[in-house]
Amino acid sequence: MKIIQKVQVKNRLGLHTRPATTIVKILQNCKSSVSFTYKKETINAKSILSLLMLAAGKNAKIIIEVDGEDAEKTMEKLVEAFENHFGE
Amino acid sequence: MYFVKDLYTKHSHALGLELTAGKGGLDNKIRVPELERPGLSLSGYLKNHAKRRILIFGTQEMGYLRDLDRTTCIARLAPILNKQTPAIIIADRYRPLKAMKELAEEHSIPIFCTKLRVMTLLNKLTLLLTEGFAPSTSCHGTLVEVFGVGVLIQGDSAVGKSEAALGLIERGHRLISDDVVKVKKKEDSYLEGSGGVLTRHHMEIRGIGIINVANLYGAVCVRDQKSIDIVVKLEVWQDDHFYDRVGLEEKYVKILDIKLPFQILPVKTGRNVVLLLETIALNHRLKDMGYNSAQEFNTKVLELTMGKKKKL
Repeated sequence: MKIIQKVQVKNRLGLHTRPATTIVKILQNCKSSVSFTYKKETINAKSILSLLMLAAGKNAKIIIEVDGEDAEKTMEKLVEAFENHFGE
Repeated sequence: MYFVKDLYTKHSHALGLELTAGKGGLDNKIRVPELERPGLSLSGYLKNHAKRRILIFGTQEMGYLRDLDRTTCIARLAPILNKQTPAIIIADRYRPLKAMKELAEEHSIPIFCTKLRVMTLLNKLTLLLTEGFAPSTSCHGTLVEVFGVGVLIQGDSAVGKSEAALGLIERGHRLISDDVVKVKKKEDSYLEGSGGVLTRHHMEIRGIGIINVANLYGAVCVRDQKSIDIVVKLEVWQDDHFYDRVGLEEKYVKILDIKLPFQILPVKTGRNVVLLLETIALNHRLKDMGYNSAQEFNTKVLELTMGKKKKL
């Protein structure tokens, strides 16, 4: 199953190392393929360096695309992490 | 998509551009990577005039316009200076005529002047625009230069791409980019890979974290860009899968419509991936030089089995 959703970076410092680590941690055991698109750049969200490369600041709108068997669950967790400001 | 201001900010030094009029048009889009010398269009022949190209005025165009009286000059310029014109560049140290400036301001077309000769400007600008309009993509993988061969290592997360790359770097090969590689089609014939500005020369190794390869191993171990010559996919070894044992069959993968040799490399404990990658790179070089080990061997076998009397 393929799900696409737009999320907004809400924490003050943007998508820096710690939030990127949180995302990678969420996706560690996920079986679906997950990609983030920001400013026309699409990257594999399971790679921390790729996430950092996006250099997405506060209020950046990122399109998340999850494709695979556990897509729904993964998307739920990701959106929750974005909503919770990655615990910051 | 490319804007006039991008061209101006990035390349004004190289092209010696000086903005003289039409500042309001810096946000104009450059839609085609082509240039136009409007000589014939200025003379009144407007059939097939390329409206969307950047106009280049040289000695001949400027000389022609100067010889015209003001009314005729405006009449000739008006049809070619319109909203679709992205920008005008005047070469050979000429300054824009008053009529040109007025039309440019009216339609928001930036006019740049440069000291460069018109041919030099055309050559430089064509190269820059072609580069700017080159198709590009980014792909997941690690790009390493091994014995001069650009090897793009791909594979699922945690299969050991970064570890393999680190092993190669330790043996004196060069890292271009880890995890994400920006790929650009060059001259419509080959692909060039580079890293993101922020993540360039960095690697993420599980258990260690993010490391800066240029600092750790020295500047000799990194490169900013390299052509991609071969793609190797690392795969976890599956016992029931039959892996290539001879290497007679060539596989290819297409990136941005360019065909690249493709090899699947199964990984399991005890297999020295670094050595295998080095061998793949060397074998690729040999093939490039016209020697295909597998085919050569096959020919020898065929000669023997078919009973040809030839000394081996």
